[in-house]
Amino acid sequence: MNPEISSTQPATHVSHAPATILLVDDEPVSRLSMAARLKRMGLRVLEAGNGKEGLEILRRERPDLTILDWVMPEMDGPTVCELVRRDPAILSSQLILMTSHDQPEQIAEGLARGADDFLSKAASKQEILARVQSGLRTASLLQSIESARDQLRAKQEQMEDELLSAAGYMHSLLPRAGEVAPGIHMSWTYRPSLALGGDLFNCSRWDDRSIMFYILDASGHGVSPALRAASFATFLRAENLRHFVTANDPAAILAEANRHYPLTEEGYYFTVWIGSFDRTTHQLRYATAGHGGAVIQRRNGTIEWLTHAHLPLGFEPESTYELKTTQIEDGDRVILMSDGVYEAPAATGEVWGTERLAATLGALRSTALSDVLPAMMAEAERWHGASIFPDDAALLGLEFRI
Amino acid sequence: MSTEAIFNLAEALGRVDEDEDLLYTLAELFVEQAPLDMAAARAALEAGDAAALARAAHRMKGALLQFSAPRVLAGISQLEALGKAGTLDQATTVCAHVDQELQTLITALREYAAKRPAV
Repeated sequence: MNPEISSTQPATHVSHAPATILLVDDEPVSRLSMAARLKRMGLRVLEAGNGKEGLEILRRERPDLTILDWVMPEMDGPTVCELVRRDPAILSSQLILMTSHDQPEQIAEGLARGADDFLSKAASKQEILARVQSGLRTASLLQSIESARDQLRAKQEQMEDELLSAAGYMHSLLPRAGEVAPGIHMSWTYRPSLALGGDLFNCSRWDDRSIMFYILDASGHGVSPALRAASFATFLRAENLRHFVTANDPAAILAEANRHYPLTEEGYYFTVWIGSFDRTTHQLRYATAGHGGAVIQRRNGTIEWLTHAHLPLGFEPESTYELKTTQIEDGDRVILMSDGVYEAPAATGEVWGTERLAATLGALRSTALSDVLPAMMAEAERWHGASIFPDDAALLGLEFRI
Repeated sequence: MSTEAIFNLAEALGRVDEDEDLLYTLAELFVEQAPLDMAAARAALEAGDAAALARAAHRMKGALLQFSAPRVLAGISQLEALGKAGTLDQATTVCAHVDQELQTLITALREYAAKRPAV
């Protein structure tokens, strides 16, 4: 065996199996000569006598490299090149056009029609060796890239499946819309910016006398905020809170939560608004930690924001929270929202804003609560100009018929 | 005419990495195939089909490159060019000349192939 060939051949292919070359030439003398040369290079050689047959073998065997004669009956070499480049399953095949044509314009035509390289039938054995090795090197690199791409796709699909599964769990933490307690109807709508959102809300009975409802927003986007939000939502379950607080007192609950959820090392935190409604006195008591999205719409249409300035959770371990109260009348509605709703930006960067939100809410006063929240979301979407907002957008509404 | 004058054995062997057994096989294959291609070229010429003449000549050219036979190769290249250009009036003379040269080469290759040792 020629030592030059045997010493360079292994470098042309990553795997230990010999590389496969498909040789397509209708002229038997030159095909036999070239096949013998390629076999001496240690390559596995497949042969075809015309372009049509060659294309069939190429599709079936996926050779590492294909050498095509230009002029052939049935289908010529450039046509095979064109068909290969149009077929997604084989378009990355390495193709060398071979002919006794050697004019530059013909070489250009061959390359333009999809060939990777060009080989003259009068080429020396050294040139044939060099071009075949170059083609195999490229084929090997392409195979590595395709293999890495396939692995990445498989990983991506696996991660997307896991995200969907996690999103399903997050969804299970959200309340069921309907009557929370006699005369208190609840509705919500939620549009996470990614598969997993960092906003959560809930509304549940604390005891026979009172209900508790809240909205929380974990800073950041993606898996980590969603996990922190899920943890916080679990903490805010009434059966858990009773270990820490003696009464349905939003300010006391926030003080306890503040101790449990300090600022993370990466600087992430929660904003949260918690309300407690007493069904006997009709008093709403509420407290907030940096969450500005809470509003009461009176039966007569008057809108009052149920917020006041305060740091988010976790900034100061001994923070205390101001407990505010307001009286609820028959027909009043309380709407909780994340800032992703009223901070939805237009193309100009201008946010939708609380004033436009309040005006929209005012216009919808006579609309059923279950239709109000989707209509508000649609208005924010119209302002933003796209269905996905840059931040999670959640709306929770309660209507009191008391 | 000697073998060396119509084709260069040393060069032809060099092209097949001194694999004499392969060169015998190529010669035997050419001796079978070339008369068919030449007949196709003559038929194309008689039919006035310039494109078919160019195709037949082109096919023979590929085979001839294996034997380092410069005179036949030059003639066949000229025939291909005339076919491509569609100037068939000159092609008749060239075709007759190529045919004659080809017969000489075929005879030489047949003699060469006859030297193949029996297995």
